[in-house]
Amino acid sequence: MRSLRSFLSRLGHLVTRRAQDERLREEIEGHIALQTEAHLRAGLSPIEARRQAMLQFGGVEAMKQDYRARRGLPFIENLLGDLRNAGRSISRMPGLAAVIIVSLAIGIGVNTSIFSWIQLMLFQPMPAVSGAANFLLVEPRTETGGYAGASWLEYRDLQKQVSALRDIVASQIVPFNVGERGQTERTHGQLVSGNYFSALELKPAIGRFIRPEEAERPGTEPVVVISYDYWQTRFRGAPEALGQELRVNERDLIVIGVAPREFQGTMVPLKFELWVPATMAPALLGGTRDLEDRTIRAFSLIGMLKPGAMRQEAQAELSTAMAQLARDYPEASAGIGGEILTFWKAPRGPQRMLISGLAVLQGVMLLLLLAVCGNTANLMLARGSTRQREMAVRVALGAGHWRIVSLVLSENMLLALLGASLGAAIAVWGTTALRVAPLIGAFPIQFQTRVDEFTLVFAMLLGAGCGLIFSAAPALHLARLDPQDGLRSSPNTPPRSRARRVLMGTEVGLAMVVLIAAALFLQSFRAASQTDPRFRPEGVLLASYDLSGRNPDDASEREFAARLLERLRALPDVEAAAIATNVPLDLHGIPARSFTVEGRVRTEAGQDRAITNTVTPGYFKVMAIPLIEGKDFADIRDKAAPAQAIVNEEFVRRYLNGAKAIGRRLQTRNANFTIAGVARNSVYAAFGEPAQPAIYLSYRDRPASEGEIHLRTRSGNETALASEARAVLRDLDPMLPLYDVRTFSQHIERNLYLRRIPARMFAVLGPLLLGLAAIGIYAVVSYAVARRTREIGVRLTFGATSQRVVLQIILENLGAIASGTAVGWLLALLISLHAIPNGDFDVPAFVGVPAILLGVATLACWIPAWRASRIDPMAALRHE
Amino acid sequence: MKQKADVLQGTLALMVLKTLDVLGPLHGYGIARRIEQISGDLLAVNQGTVYPVLLKLEQEGAITSEWGASENNRRARFYRLTREGHKQLQVETQDWEQTAAIIARFFEAKAEDLS
Repeated sequence: MRSLRSFLSRLGHLVTRRAQDERLREEIEGHIALQTEAHLRAGLSPIEARRQAMLQFGGVEAMKQDYRARRGLPFIENLLGDLRNAGRSISRMPGLAAVIIVSLAIGIGVNTSIFSWIQLMLFQPMPAVSGAANFLLVEPRTETGGYAGASWLEYRDLQKQVSALRDIVASQIVPFNVGERGQTERTHGQLVSGNYFSALELKPAIGRFIRPEEAERPGTEPVVVISYDYWQTRFRGAPEALGQELRVNERDLIVIGVAPREFQGTMVPLKFELWVPATMAPALLGGTRDLEDRTIRAFSLIGMLKPGAMRQEAQAELSTAMAQLARDYPEASAGIGGEILTFWKAPRGPQRMLISGLAVLQGVMLLLLLAVCGNTANLMLARGSTRQREMAVRVALGAGHWRIVSLVLSENMLLALLGASLGAAIAVWGTTALRVAPLIGAFPIQFQTRVDEFTLVFAMLLGAGCGLIFSAAPALHLARLDPQDGLRSSPNTPPRSRARRVLMGTEVGLAMVVLIAAALFLQSFRAASQTDPRFRPEGVLLASYDLSGRNPDDASEREFAARLLERLRALPDVEAAAIATNVPLDLHGIPARSFTVEGRVRTEAGQDRAITNTVTPGYFKVMAIPLIEGKDFADIRDKAAPAQAIVNEEFVRRYLNGAKAIGRRLQTRNANFTIAGVARNSVYAAFGEPAQPAIYLSYRDRPASEGEIHLRTRSGNETALASEARAVLRDLDPMLPLYDVRTFSQHIERNLYLRRIPARMFAVLGPLLLGLAAIGIYAVVSYAVARRTREIGVRLTFGATSQRVVLQIILENLGAIASGTAVGWLLALLISLHAIPNGDFDVPAFVGVPAILLGVATLACWIPAWRASRIDPMAALRHE
Repeated sequence: MKQKADVLQGTLALMVLKTLDVLGPLHGYGIARRIEQISGDLLAVNQGTVYPVLLKLEQEGAITSEWGASENNRRARFYRLTREGHKQLQVETQDWEQTAAIIARFFEAKAEDLS
């Protein structure tokens, strides 16, 4: 208690230091005056009286020292003093400080933004759900390693049998058509188990959530919970929304509640708007057998461990339960095991892909930050050396080495923390930019990244770490200083520049690695956007429809497609029209399926796989992919023709050794097809991919409930077709929305969207890094040159030409730079060999980048060298 | 040397407290004089050393101080014992007496008492 009070009082004294000093001075004065008077009264002379008084009082300064030490907190006082000192010395070098702070801020800002993203995915994977990271995925897994999803009945069984998990929750992604006839809107929702909201421990914004009994028996309660955003946009946030009816897939559902503001479902970053009891599935999805058929594996399961339960227990119980199910229901569950997965490893949704990408990005950015640190260390070292004399004076006056180190440290820490603060501001800006929901594919995606305390701490730690790193070298250097040496008017010791050279080399090496990475990245990106897709995307409009809500059969799907195409082809501006199940260059990829083909015997184990796309006749015309042999598929209403397939050139080359393909039989997707034609190769999954074998099947043989309409316009203005296409569909079926309407170019753009972010980042960071390296080199060389003014003067006096001097300085420094470059080059080569195992050796990146880097480095050496060679020899000799 | 100063500081604090207890509010000079008078020549300390002790006691809350006028009408800082200071004085007096008593008994003890 006493010590706490004492501490607080001492802390208070820090603020009132000056007044306190004044008080003590006055007290001492009064004291001595009183004593002097006493002596005077005793009959001493005034001078003697005062002398005696002073003697009795004792050493004033020593006492003051004692008093001060007792009064405040010397440690904090020293620190404050150091900080003030640091502030002063920083304000004396505004340019240098600005370069350091801004470069650190960029490094820290970028790192913090990426960290906040990773952090979000790992630790807060479901916004608004506390403890979301503790949820585990319960995933049925096939023998081949695919994650099959769970059927509803299976879910019910697992819920009972896996007791280590409490409240397993089931959900299924469903696209809904919401609205009245003729103006329906495609909205994504989840069919959920009754315990969905209670297990996630959510509280409704208004109203209530689905009750467990509402998801017990099929088709009982037509209720829906809507998202906060949906409530705001569709009901303008009015409380009357509760109890209103929402027309979903031609059924009226009653709105019972609104989810919390940030909640976006259990498959982040996908954003859902509606949650409906899973038992509504048959009513909403045209009588689907989801709830009773064990082969329909449409649900995803998540659950949290019971307190005290171990993950291994859950895994063991799941394995036992799945084995039992495989015995009980061999037709649905044979060969299907189960796996408990950490939430972020979700096999569905883009989480996993994003996290690994982000981790790589974070690695590169930390490397960049390290380069910035190296650069700063160099600058500080160069500057520190010019302060040798100041430090020497301090040491000579009795400052301990630790005081010197703390002086340097506080200066650098101040710089680092200023940089970190600015970096945090950049991160705030960066993460808010990420919050904007980009629409990728048909699915709305939202990242709710934000800078929270956690991220701020990260930024500050990063700053402190940087400060320590770039303080180390200058602090050590100055602390080792011999005061005698430093005070000598002309330093005779050769400049100790080994540390600086090593740093310079390291930094150049790092710059090399990142620049080559940037070059490779930009190269692949440019290659991607410039290569010919081998089909013609210009002038094509894409749009999707989905009949799955009607639970249609093959005949109705085929008929719908046929009528839709007839109507579309009748439009005056449509040159050609077709429907396909997949669009090339889709973000989600095109499925590759196993097959066997007549005349092909596999030598090794395994299966042949080819990309498959199911298309209507006319597809090749719309896409402008020429048929090399054979002809297009038979008409969609043709009932006589056998099942047909068209393969591409690569298929023929790889699997038939170029032999004649037409007429051969092909088995895939459990059916037989006859090859009717050979199409030219084109791009399927990504630009720049090696040629892929592909099989096209006909819509006539394999109709589907979903379709991507492809329309080629006559006039070249494909966007104008959108409204006409909408009208056609509305005419055919007023309840069916046309969604995801986009031009083919927009479609490709979306595919490139994710690739473009890092590409842009590299495009900005590359030059930045080059600039940093140049500044670093410049600092080192100009410092070294400044220390050798006298030597240069002597040389010039003895007849050395200035060119010779310049050349010598450049050569001396290029040594370190060249070795750094070489090491960086090798590293980059290793990385690229590792990352792109069978990629080509990229000449521009591996030759051009070093050339540019060495060019810039030489320039950065040349400027200070040239300036040094211009000095007047006489002036140089008088220098000291 | 240093150890001696530490011991001194502890006892000096007790002396300051006792002085204030007996004489009531007093300035630094008065306290220093009083200690000098009582201890006579036995305690050779500089008068200035009371000030750090006063500060320490004030920080601990045992005394408070305020400006007042000294006997020669100069501004002087007067120190006064607080309630807590009284308590502290009592405790420390007891401690001191106990210690002194123990030491005294040690000195009185003869060889046969310890066998």
